[in-house]
Amino acid sequence: MLNLYLPLAGNSINILLLFGLGGAVGFLSGLFGVGGGFLMTPLLIMVGIPSTVAAASDSNQIVAASTSGTFAHYRLGNVDFKMGIYLLIGGVIGGTVGVQFIKVLRAMGNADFVIKVTYVIMLGVIGFYMFMESLQSMRKKPVEARRVEAAPAKVSLYNRMIQALPYQTYFEKSGVTLSPLLPLILGVFVGILAAIMGVGGGFIMVPVMVYMLRMPMHVVVGTSLFQILFTCINVTIMQSISNHTVDMILAIILLLGSTVGAQFGVRLSKRLKADQLKILLASIVILVMVQMLVSLASAPHLLLAYKGGH
Amino acid sequence: MKRLKYLLLMVAVMAAGVQLAGSLPARAQEPSLKVSPAVVHIGAFFNGETVTVKGVIPAGAQAVLEAVGTSAEEHLMRKGRRGFLWMNVGKITVHDAPSLYMVASTSKDLLTSATKEAAWGYRSLEKHITFSGDITAAERPEFMNQFLQLKESENIYASHPGALKIESASGGQSLVTGSFYLPTTTKPGTYKILLSVIQDGKVASRASADLQVAMVGFPAMLSNLAYGHGATYGIIAVVIAIVTGFAMGFLFKGGGGH
Repeated sequence: MLNLYLPLAGNSINILLLFGLGGAVGFLSGLFGVGGGFLMTPLLIMVGIPSTVAAASDSNQIVAASTSGTFAHYRLGNVDFKMGIYLLIGGVIGGTVGVQFIKVLRAMGNADFVIKVTYVIMLGVIGFYMFMESLQSMRKKPVEARRVEAAPAKVSLYNRMIQALPYQTYFEKSGVTLSPLLPLILGVFVGILAAIMGVGGGFIMVPVMVYMLRMPMHVVVGTSLFQILFTCINVTIMQSISNHTVDMILAIILLLGSTVGAQFGVRLSKRLKADQLKILLASIVILVMVQMLVSLASAPHLLLAYKGGH
Repeated sequence: MKRLKYLLLMVAVMAAGVQLAGSLPARAQEPSLKVSPAVVHIGAFFNGETVTVKGVIPAGAQAVLEAVGTSAEEHLMRKGRRGFLWMNVGKITVHDAPSLYMVASTSKDLLTSATKEAAWGYRSLEKHITFSGDITAAERPEFMNQFLQLKESENIYASHPGALKIESASGGQSLVTGSFYLPTTTKPGTYKILLSVIQDGKVASRASADLQVAMVGFPAMLSNLAYGHGATYGIIAVVIAIVTGFAMGFLFKGGGGH
């Protein structure tokens, strides 16, 4: 029994279990190209880590994962620093607001509930959207060409809206012209969610960049990682100061496991087709969402609970 | 394997007990007790700890052994249904509940059939603990039961009727031996160990000793840093993560988690 005491979580957990958990989530994140935070936090809660400690320590762990990712993409020239900095400023503001929000919720006693409900909603929306999108693209591959032609007319209202915003700027790396206010506002939105959920926000940020900022896919992944890195640095420091919920030991074991697991995931991902991967990820996301929804909807064993996610 | 361990433990306990009975002063009425270890250290590999208590009581008497943590106000939430979701619907403040409570008795019925007047066990706790907040007087018994179950589910409250071993010793005395397991979630602090001599359904005399639980080594250092210097702790956590991220990136040629 290799148990290690986690002083901030106030409990002792088996190292191999944590390493395995990190490895499993890392494997999935390598397989699907996402940070994996949205899977890690609920799994940590399931093994007995208080939810606020799980969320904050996970942000710390994502710092390591996104450091190596950002560095690799930077060398490939896939990081739009200009766009990234606007998203980042928004993310820092959002992260700070999110941490204070959690502090208030902890005092009110509903932090756990809000974390879980936010998860259920985000996982549900993203899971179903991805599932439907990949199912459609698998079934209707020949129709795709026509859909792309029809698309500009459909989105013109959104185009007009974003073009009406002031300070239009050209983002060279992404090849788009838009107001810096747009990435700033979207950054705030993702930052708040990242702090509440303890995730890097990658699985929200990537669709936002693709569909709302119209950035090319190869720049999206690198820029998203750059932004996630700094958002999570901010969340880690803010959580350490305000809530004392970052367990460094927990984060280190998880990141060692996840970086190793990611390598195996990347290898398997090269053997699978893109749509197969998307459907698989969407199914996992929906499964996690259903599990959380069931736990919220079914009668608890006890009608008393600790305040503030103990 | 477990049985062998248990047998060896029993032999050791009995041998120590005989030695203890010989070494303790032969006072007929006053019980005495010895806690081992007297200090429990929460180190990097802390995985809970079994604390053994040996005591001497007058022959023919029964005994109750209690381990009690310090009392403080506790803020709990009561859950209720809103729509189809279960969520926190009110606050309940619990007063005078010990942070840890474990009890064992020589005779089972001292705990299982204890009357309301009993000055030991859960019956005694129920008299001391009070609730305030979103709770009515009629709901008190139900929530008291819920509270005890909550604590038992965390292994910080436990009642073990008949788990206190009693053997006759020389000089009109009996030797009692018991043990309790401090779970991995035990908080640092001072815990009281009480050995009560029960005669005619009442506490005839009582001996007490302190048990210290202290965080030591790396966990203590980390905890002090996190609570005393939050910003420094956060920066260190970030620097370690970045360095490890780079190191793992180089090790696996920049694969990362993405």
